[in-house]
Amino acid sequence: MGTAASKLPKDLLSEYQELTFLTKQEILLAHKRFTELLDRGDRQQAFNSRVPMTKVLTLPELKSNPFRKRICNVFSTSDVKDGSLSFEDFLDLLSAFSDSATLEIKSHYAFRIFDFDDDGTLDSGDLEKLVNCLTGETEDTRLTSEEMKQLINNILEESDIDKDGTVNLSEFQHVISRSPDFVSSFKIVL
Amino acid sequence: MEDNQRRVNFQRLSSEDSAISDDSCEYYQTDIYEHLPSTLSRDWNSIQSLKMLPLCMQEKRNIRERLHQQKLKIGHWESWRRSQRIAWRRMVEQLKGFFSRLLPWKHTLHKIEGRFGVGVKAYFVFLRYLLGLNLLNCVIIALSVLLPSLYIKKGGPHCNLTSKDNGSVLDVFLGSGFLERSPVFYSFYKLKNIDKQCLNTSLLFFAGMVLILLLSFLMIVRRTVVGYKHTWMTGNHFSMNMSYKVFCGWDFCIQDPQAAFLKHSFIKNELKMDLEEQRFRLRVSQRTLKQKVVLFFLRLILNISVLALLGGSFALIYYATIKSQNKLDNVHWTLKLLWEYLPPITITVVNFVLPQMFCVIVTFEDYSLTTQLNLTLVRSIFLKLASLGIYLFFLITYLTTSIQNPETEFGKEMYKLTIFHLLACFCNAFLVSFPRAWIVDKYPSSMLAKKIGKPEFVIPLNILDLVYSQTVTWVGVFYCPLLPAISIVKLLVIFYMKMFTVIRCCAPAQRMFRTTSSSVLFNFMLLLGLIMSAVTLGVNINMFVPGTCGPFMGDSSVFNVTSECVQTLPRPVRNGISYITSEAFAFALILAEVIILTSLVSRGGANRKTIERLKDMLVMCSSDKRFLVKQHATLIRRQRRIAPSTE
Repeated sequence: MGTAASKLPKDLLSEYQELTFLTKQEILLAHKRFTELLDRGDRQQAFNSRVPMTKVLTLPELKSNPFRKRICNVFSTSDVKDGSLSFEDFLDLLSAFSDSATLEIKSHYAFRIFDFDDDGTLDSGDLEKLVNCLTGETEDTRLTSEEMKQLINNILEESDIDKDGTVNLSEFQHVISRSPDFVSSFKIVL
Repeated sequence: MEDNQRRVNFQRLSSEDSAISDDSCEYYQTDIYEHLPSTLSRDWNSIQSLKMLPLCMQEKRNIRERLHQQKLKIGHWESWRRSQRIAWRRMVEQLKGFFSRLLPWKHTLHKIEGRFGVGVKAYFVFLRYLLGLNLLNCVIIALSVLLPSLYIKKGGPHCNLTSKDNGSVLDVFLGSGFLERSPVFYSFYKLKNIDKQCLNTSLLFFAGMVLILLLSFLMIVRRTVVGYKHTWMTGNHFSMNMSYKVFCGWDFCIQDPQAAFLKHSFIKNELKMDLEEQRFRLRVSQRTLKQKVVLFFLRLILNISVLALLGGSFALIYYATIKSQNKLDNVHWTLKLLWEYLPPITITVVNFVLPQMFCVIVTFEDYSLTTQLNLTLVRSIFLKLASLGIYLFFLITYLTTSIQNPETEFGKEMYKLTIFHLLACFCNAFLVSFPRAWIVDKYPSSMLAKKIGKPEFVIPLNILDLVYSQTVTWVGVFYCPLLPAISIVKLLVIFYMKMFTVIRCCAPAQRMFRTTSSSVLFNFMLLLGLIMSAVTLGVNINMFVPGTCGPFMGDSSVFNVTSECVQTLPRPVRNGISYITSEAFAFALILAEVIILTSLVSRGGANRKTIERLKDMLVMCSSDKRFLVKQHATLIRRQRRIAPSTE
């Protein structure tokens, strides 16, 4: 396993435990997986280095997820917005997707993931991209434009409470809060 | 005026396309939106745990720093209280973590979830829950029934059983011979006094059974209500069907590319189906009178045929029950076994064949797809529970009229049902599903393989199976006290068998399954089963005259144990109990319930009205906001236009 330098210090570990929903074992496992993603040279300083998005996407837990790129972008704190993750970003990601995270936090991050243009609301463009992600990207799996129009109309009619043509965060959380399914399916466990 | 028009337009945003979105685009990006108080970062409440904040790690650290500085400012008492709160929260979390680690099969379930999604996992979680329930029942029985009977040596009179040995293997299947004399069955337990007063084994026996039913009832009601609250609390009045499917559609647990591909097509099919259904509803509203009449008669005929099928199956069960009670004596033992198992076999076969026929029938009825599925499910539920009920009914009427020791006979029948259910599961797994999957895997191009295909794991029917088996356990527990223990073993075997079937043999079901709506249904089914078993038990206790065996022998009714006990109590307590059981008390109770219910219903109505009003207000507020923002934007634009010209 990792060398002594890449081990987690005890105070940092307990800090992570306090700031995330992860247990001690989960943090240790996350650390192990994260160092495996790093290049050999970077392993010594796992806390300062970032893993590029292409590397993160090779994780089996993310590989078949249609929102994988959005997930990386949302959780990345990188200044150049390239979707690369530091170890703490990675922990943030796992914490939001963990078993014990609350509906509140999960729905918040889900909203940010689905908000493709990062403007703070889900408009019809976002919804169209979202539906395309769900049904698959290729031409023959997509809905026809007529169906898409009908669907988006339906969604807005159902969940756009203040009728401004977009779904905002509180409206989104309103929908999500009625579905206990969501907590059990919005989950990525290493 | 303009504002009003915009509102209408937004409701039909995509139908009018881009005319509005172009225009709106401009002022959405105006700066003012970023300065609205609601979009500025909130002042996070310090009472909330830091990890609850949707912020990145560094920001959480900053907030914690700020909190620390605040702590220096606030007094000792407050800081002590805060630290206590944090310590308490940590302890609760650790305890939770500890208990969640005690739950078995976490890893296995995770694997299943990754391959088949949440729906299939819900089945296994349900199975695990039933295991826990039975374990609890077992503990109660061991403490209140088994221990006293085994511990106290001196016993009542010996009871003579009429049945004879059939050889040990056959005994295990039939519940006769040595098994009948063992603690498994009712006749083993005898009336034994623990002290001079009323405390005796029969009272403990009775108390244990009542406790089991009550506890199960409470637990299931709790589970049902929790699910119910989630699904229908407010959902009834605001349908959110499509939004759910889009917002909560993806199952993030999926890791397998194959499963992800399937999920994509599930979602696509489901969305397409829903849209199709919407159009279908539109078509329905346009049906002519003649079409309606024809459809009505068609449905009438089909429903009559469903009823006929149900009636036929009940008649079949009746004959099987009556016939199998005439014991065959001088035949080969396999034939005898088959004969004795005739009712369970009939019930299982009926329950296997009829749902398939319902599936075919429902396609002619011209319902929408969801209605079709639900209708089939409801019919299957009715069939399953009713066939068991009918069987119990015939059995009880037969036993009360013609058998000397009906209790043990009844226990034996329930034991046989339990054993046969296990056998049926076994056969289904290894003689039906496995060969089918094997053929498809081995010769994927052959005609046969294409025709039969891989078996699907139909979750509702499988859950129904579990409900059925649990109902049998509850019905039988009074006359076969070790039945919960037997069903624990059975459920364990079923767990591994189903896991094998799911992982090795099954193709994921073509239709998605929602755990939300269904978990209520499952628990409701379980509740129905429990109520059915309680009713059966009540009827049994009243119908069966206690025979020469068992803990209640000699008494005219089981309830005598409690009345004898009440006699020994001091006078005021006796009076209190007799008042509580009287009609006067029941009247007061009903009255109180009516008052509480009325107040709850009216409160619900008031809440609904408030919700409507709040929604109206939201719409108003947001349109006002948009209007103001637009005014602001035009003002600023005008100012900017004026500014260069004045320079």
